[in-house]
Amino acid sequence: MTTIGTPAPASRGMTRKQRRLTLIGLALGVLGLAAGLVLYSLSGSITLFQSPTDVVEKNLQPGTRMRLGGLVEGGSVRRGENMEVAFAITDGRTTIPVAYRGILPDLFREGQGVVTEGVLGPDRSFRADSVLARHDENYMPKEVADSLKRQGHWKPGDPAPNPNAPARQR
Amino acid sequence: MDGSIGIWLAIAAMTCAAVFAVLIPLSRRTDTAADARDVEVYKDQLAEVDRDAAAGLIGPAEAEAARIEVSRRLIAAAERAGASGAAGEGMSRRRRIAAIAAIVVVPAIAALAYGLRGQPGYPGQPLAERQRAAPQQSDVATLIGRIEAHLATNPEDGRGWEVVAPVYLRMGRLPDAVRAYSNAMRLLGVTADRQADLAEAQTIAAGGVVSAEAKAGFERALALGPGHPKAGYFLGLASEQDGKPEEAKARWTRMIGEAPADAPWLGLLRSEIARLGGTAPAAAAPAPQATPGPAQIRAMVDGLAQRLAADGSDFDSWLRLVRSYVVLGEGDKAREAAASARRLFAAEAEKIARLDSLVNELGIGGS
Amino acid sequence: MSPEIGHYALVLGLALALFQSVVPIWGSRKGDATLMATAPSVALGQFVFVTLAFAVLTHAYLVSDFSVENVYLNSHSSKPLIYKISGVWGNHEGSMLLWVVILTLFSALVALFGRNLPLSLKANVLAVQGWITVAFLVFILKTSNPFARLAPAPFEGRDLNPLLQDVGLAIHPPLLYLGYVGFSMSFAFAVAALIDGKIDAAWARWVRPWTLVAWIFLTAGISMGSYWAYYELGWGGWWFWDPVENASLMPWLAGTALLHSAIVMEKREALKVWTVLLAILTFSLSLLGTFLVRSGVLTSVHAFAVDPERGVFILAILVAFIGGSLALYAWRAPLLKQGGLFAPVSREGALVFNNLFLTASCAAVFVGTLYPLALETLTGAKISVGPPFFNWTFGPLMVPLVIAMTFGPLVAWKRGDLLAVAQRLTVALVVGIAAIAVTYAVTTGGPVLAPLFVGLAAFIIVGAMVDIAERTQLFRAPASVSFARARGLPRAAWGTAVAHAGVGVMLLGIVGETAYKQETIVQMRPGDSVQVAGYDLTLQALVPVQGPNYRDLVARLQVREGGVPVGMMEPAKRLYTARNMPTTEAALKTRGVSQLYVSPGDATADGSIAMRFFYKPMVLLIWIGTLVMMLGGLLSLSDRRLRVGAPKPSARRAAAVQAAE
Repeated sequence: MTTIGTPAPASRGMTRKQRRLTLIGLALGVLGLAAGLVLYSLSGSITLFQSPTDVVEKNLQPGTRMRLGGLVEGGSVRRGENMEVAFAITDGRTTIPVAYRGILPDLFREGQGVVTEGVLGPDRSFRADSVLARHDENYMPKEVADSLKRQGHWKPGDPAPNPNAPARQR
Repeated sequence: MDGSIGIWLAIAAMTCAAVFAVLIPLSRRTDTAADARDVEVYKDQLAEVDRDAAAGLIGPAEAEAARIEVSRRLIAAAERAGASGAAGEGMSRRRRIAAIAAIVVVPAIAALAYGLRGQPGYPGQPLAERQRAAPQQSDVATLIGRIEAHLATNPEDGRGWEVVAPVYLRMGRLPDAVRAYSNAMRLLGVTADRQADLAEAQTIAAGGVVSAEAKAGFERALALGPGHPKAGYFLGLASEQDGKPEEAKARWTRMIGEAPADAPWLGLLRSEIARLGGTAPAAAAPAPQATPGPAQIRAMVDGLAQRLAADGSDFDSWLRLVRSYVVLGEGDKAREAAASARRLFAAEAEKIARLDSLVNELGIGGS
Repeated sequence: MSPEIGHYALVLGLALALFQSVVPIWGSRKGDATLMATAPSVALGQFVFVTLAFAVLTHAYLVSDFSVENVYLNSHSSKPLIYKISGVWGNHEGSMLLWVVILTLFSALVALFGRNLPLSLKANVLAVQGWITVAFLVFILKTSNPFARLAPAPFEGRDLNPLLQDVGLAIHPPLLYLGYVGFSMSFAFAVAALIDGKIDAAWARWVRPWTLVAWIFLTAGISMGSYWAYYELGWGGWWFWDPVENASLMPWLAGTALLHSAIVMEKREALKVWTVLLAILTFSLSLLGTFLVRSGVLTSVHAFAVDPERGVFILAILVAFIGGSLALYAWRAPLLKQGGLFAPVSREGALVFNNLFLTASCAAVFVGTLYPLALETLTGAKISVGPPFFNWTFGPLMVPLVIAMTFGPLVAWKRGDLLAVAQRLTVALVVGIAAIAVTYAVTTGGPVLAPLFVGLAAFIIVGAMVDIAERTQLFRAPASVSFARARGLPRAAWGTAVAHAGVGVMLLGIVGETAYKQETIVQMRPGDSVQVAGYDLTLQALVPVQGPNYRDLVARLQVREGGVPVGMMEPAKRLYTARNMPTTEAALKTRGVSQLYVSPGDATADGSIAMRFFYKPMVLLIWIGTLVMMLGGLLSLSDRRLRVGAPKPSARRAAAVQAAE
């Protein structure tokens, strides 16, 4: 196939070269627009994931917006008036108190993994505006899945391994 | 044995079918070369375009375009068909190679790949068949399976839950035990015994730590049955774990004082008080007797430690061991166990994090 | 039936796939019809064996054969029948097996219905399909064998994740996979064309039906997944820009672009090289989607490293296929005869515009999805790219696209006249502006831009109608003439108009839901009432209910509109006892195309419960829009034109076969 339309270059419309340039120009324009949008939005909508130890070691300033993740410390959950919830997130070394108002996700439990997003307060406390129990492809936080699989197959008086958890055959 | 003959027959039949899937098209005489066959395809297409155009299914302009295009392909294919008459020589050789591939290589690959993992001698185990076959063997797992099947269809049978709960507890299926106890309590009504059993299961499931929930349960049990020994014992333990050993000692001492002289659990309380560094009132009972107490827990923890020394691959057992040492008040050993686990699982950050959080929670940091 | 039969069937499928990868393509190089003719029968054999394997696995689920590890981990003897079946693909191993079943299904369809494909093209296409089948069968057998056995067999299974016990999820993955894997056909055709070194308009016609089929299924799968997340997760959202969702959106965008560029190629023999590239990219994105979801890399780069076998294997497949096909493309594409250039203002031009914006938006989603992964791999910093990123990149790129979408079908081929098109769209423009004005007048609050988008949606819908009206000369010619023209109109034209209108309907739903939804969270006790968007909801009681394998705490809410009772809503907090896992069962009340949505939180000890209420105006239009788009795809698929060189009606084929014998 050759060019479309009349071969006369002086006719209404454009020459072959102009057409090519227009197409290339359009393509570059769209790519440029996309790249610009990506860079602009990327600078504004990224939140860094931090562990409690990061908060202390990096000496993050109050007012920093971030995602704070770790384990919900056992026994730390306190429910207050008006759907206020206080709990603590720990990574084993450092613990940070978190305040949140709203409904907690189904999979939120003491001792389980959780990711919260919000703002660091002045006294190294954290005000979360969203709380997620992270999902894998089963819509299930991996930590929860692991611990559910192997939770406490032990009790005083039963030194034998759990008979109901047969060995995996390879 | 006939089951395994069946599987071999099936494997042989399937292999034959696979081989024939290759051999049948190979055996078919195809005199026409590929391009000659393509000519047929294009002629067929042209006819179809004409039919569609005649039926008004496609517009005249589109039909014309399609016709031109198909004709162009048709001509090209016809030319190639004329030229490729000489290609026939290699054909029988190639056909032989393909046939050998079908007869030898396909089964060989299948045998090799299946040989790696397959277990042809292991028949399927449908649940219904196994339950039918099982009644004479009274092994615990089978019994549990039967009770579970019964409970699955009659979830409101409180007696069933009550029977199965302690068995779960003994087998170490702790979350199941907790559920069974709470189902029994829900269906049969709350009594001091049931409430205490449930809370005990919760405590054991939490690795020996009396949680707030379990504590509330014991308190309810005590309210329902004042002087309930199990509830009293665990509430003492809760006080101790809350960092109030004096309160624990006081509670246990009071219990010994109020108990009948031949209560079987007096020995346990005495040794617990002794462990906390107190002296038990000597008044009540004769010599301590064999009670399910620290000695047995001791033996069990030692067993766990030995097992882990032999095979330390189960991370959760390590966590349990650490907890148990703390419950037994042996902080040094707990720290040692934590350190061993840390060495073994150093490469797995998620596990280390869980270990750290446990160490933190138990207040034995510093390792 | 022994599970071992399934295992062996799978292995035989692999052996046949290996044969199919080599022999037909060898025959095509040598011009040997006999060798090429093995491809269809071997492809059918593969399909039979892989399907047999799948059937055996399903049987193992049905009879609760816990000697199969996969069944033990994902089933339970007391599970309802339908979830025993859906449990087969509700897990990694089973879903990969389903993936391959569908792959071999498509190969078998080509083998059966591709009788009027040139022999060497057919042989090459099936060989390429064979490569993909080999790769995935080796992956399954090596790292994710669903037939791994347990000895001794446990007496009870571990149950299916309760979130996955849902009808929506029973059909969602198969639909999605039909879409993903369907694009393997376009890929195979593209690679076959590159191997042959020739490509023309007929090629585009052969590819288009397969692409359309894949596109329809992918649209259905994404839409279904979105609705599932909406009512099952209980968060009230319908799209979260979650990487799992993006993984399916990317091939959809590329596939949509491919559909449109194939039109240009078919009609004008232009954009050949680009179309081939798009076909490769679309399937590459499907593979990437499979990789993202299946390797665990999304949970964390760390999780990927913990179980590296699967992840690395599937990454290797990804690299081999994408890298290999792109290398082949770089090598062979220059051989393909270049198509012509054309005027920017023309139907071709509009379709190029469509392609540019679709691929650019696809690239934006790609960056947003993979940037965190790349950054974590390179620097260890963990970041998350939130929905604002996608809204701010994807949104602005979609606006010019959907505007151009209305103009495109009205512009003539070769050289169009924008002014004339604009004149013909006057009606649509007027309706759009009226919609803006009405929206401004009727609504209070809401973002300032929202009425503009309502107007845009109205413009798109009416514009699609104008397209049909113009073609049938509605209102200008007598009704009988218009009717005759409407009947004579190619189904593809109807398909275009319907699918484009579907986009407008969906846009309307999106604007309604995002801009005008109302939300409130309240702590309630029995007897309390709450007001949402003119509805009064009274919590009558909290009732415990025992289900077959769960326990519910049901909140019974009486709904009143203007004091008149309009029904009950019964959201529940559910506890699945086998896993001790709580879930939230949201309640929906449909009012027209709008919905009330209630999602309960935890009940507290003092007898109160936190509840989240949403009023979501026009929310159902989102999914109705996708249904309309799929209808458009189906209409287009039924077009006679696509049948030339594509699957023929089976009746005539059977007759032809009989005649030949």
